[in-house]
Amino acid sequence: MSTARNIPNDRGLTLRMFTTGLLLVLLYGAVVGLLIAVGISYALVLVIAGALLFVQYWFSDKIALYGMGGRIVTPEQAPQLHGAIDRLCAMADMKKPRVAIADTDVPNAFATGRSPNSAVVCATTGLMRRLDEPELEAVLAHELSHVAHRDVAVMTIASFLGMVAGLVTRMMLWTGMMGGFGGGMGGGGGNNGNNNGGDQAVLVEMAVLVVSVVVYAISFLLTMALSRYRELAADRSGAILTGQPSVLASALVKVTGDIARIPTRDLRSTETFNAFYFTPAIAKNGVSISTIFSTHPSLDQRLAQLAALEAEMGRPS
Amino acid sequence: MGLFDTILGRTKPVQSNLDALFALPSASITLQSAAGMACSGHAGVCFKPPTGQGFADMESEVVTLLSMDGGSGLTRSEDSFGYTWLVVEDPDIGSLVTRVHLVNSSLSDSGWGPQLLCSVFGLAKLTTDPTVAAGSDPVEEGATVGAGTLLPSTAFLVYLFKRGTFYPFVPTGHEQRSTEEEFRLRSLVADDLTVEADLDRWFPLWDLPVG
Repeated sequence: MSTARNIPNDRGLTLRMFTTGLLLVLLYGAVVGLLIAVGISYALVLVIAGALLFVQYWFSDKIALYGMGGRIVTPEQAPQLHGAIDRLCAMADMKKPRVAIADTDVPNAFATGRSPNSAVVCATTGLMRRLDEPELEAVLAHELSHVAHRDVAVMTIASFLGMVAGLVTRMMLWTGMMGGFGGGMGGGGGNNGNNNGGDQAVLVEMAVLVVSVVVYAISFLLTMALSRYRELAADRSGAILTGQPSVLASALVKVTGDIARIPTRDLRSTETFNAFYFTPAIAKNGVSISTIFSTHPSLDQRLAQLAALEAEMGRPS
Repeated sequence: MGLFDTILGRTKPVQSNLDALFALPSASITLQSAAGMACSGHAGVCFKPPTGQGFADMESEVVTLLSMDGGSGLTRSEDSFGYTWLVVEDPDIGSLVTRVHLVNSSLSDSGWGPQLLCSVFGLAKLTTDPTVAAGSDPVEEGATVGAGTLLPSTAFLVYLFKRGTFYPFVPTGHEQRSTEEEFRLRSLVADDLTVEADLDRWFPLWDLPVG
């Protein structure tokens, strides 16, 4: 019998997400091992990166709301939005997040907050204007799935390594530019007779620079991939929650089609939100539905998944 | 949700808890003696209809089953949020609960439990003045449980399937509710029913199709 309960887990998606996570962990282990082998001088970098990420994690709701210009609304101010979220939360048995509206014509929605208890779901006025009520509900179900999956926490942890690598790269470039390689950090500039040691320091620094650039690139790609898989997972959970995958599909088509037609000024104004962060991998402290960032899977991919779900649910018993 | 599900980005659809419904008749007796209120004979089941013919077939089966069951009313409507309401009417609180349970269990037995949102039971102030009650069908007089007749509902008890809890809802006008009255009802039924402790989950249901 085809029932909501019997929809199987997407093994492929699970496997891909697991592999990506595993690769990130392996990369992380390798980098920590390398740091320990080189010396503990980069402990400071780890502390700085950790602190930055902690701030981002802890204040994710405020940062994202500020970046998008969202404001928290009461049930009286937005009865329809609150009503839809109330019902979805009751169906999913989850705590109701705070509800916010961002006053921009870019059709978008995002969920943010470090835990389901401090979560905020925000929709833009552009989104609410373009979508009809079932479509808006489908988008909200997608965002609530992000809350339930704790995607802000997951992506914050996942992007830690990229942040460290990015910091190391910048530090190396700075010191390299200011003191010349080997002069600033290597300390080889003292004795003329110690030329050999100076060369070695240059080599070590070059190696660290290369390694951190490579680590940055790999972890960037991995976090992007992880983010895309989490989007697909949220599409899936959201569609199962409302029981109507095609409605989410039509919302995606509407929103994506609109984004392509939006004037550049609006696109740039969303990019400031993107540039607000250190690495693009964690650019979205909230996880949004639009497909303009590569953190999101392609529209075709998302539509294909939803079509498969629709077929799964529609099969007569 | 476990850690593993978090890492893999999965949520499991939440199943419904139906047993708590049968505590309603005793709550109705308590309400009648303590506040002169009783079940009004109206109740509604609210669910999100999923896509596909499987659910539609099942729903029409339930409707047929309920209409065969006895002459009392059954109406189907859709609200502005895209949820379907099956509203049953039965002056006897016992059989009202049984009928509501029939709808709920049919849905959850065929695997659609996750689609259930809530059930709503109407409450009405009992009046000793017979002329007021005369407007509705003259059902048998002197019933001990419930109003014994259909009355327009003034307050509601909402049953949340996923929590297995009840909360009172008293709408007073256009998108306004009487929190005071709701708290009073809560203290009255607290011994008989599991009342939802998290006030955030007492969401309003404006324009209820339940009479």
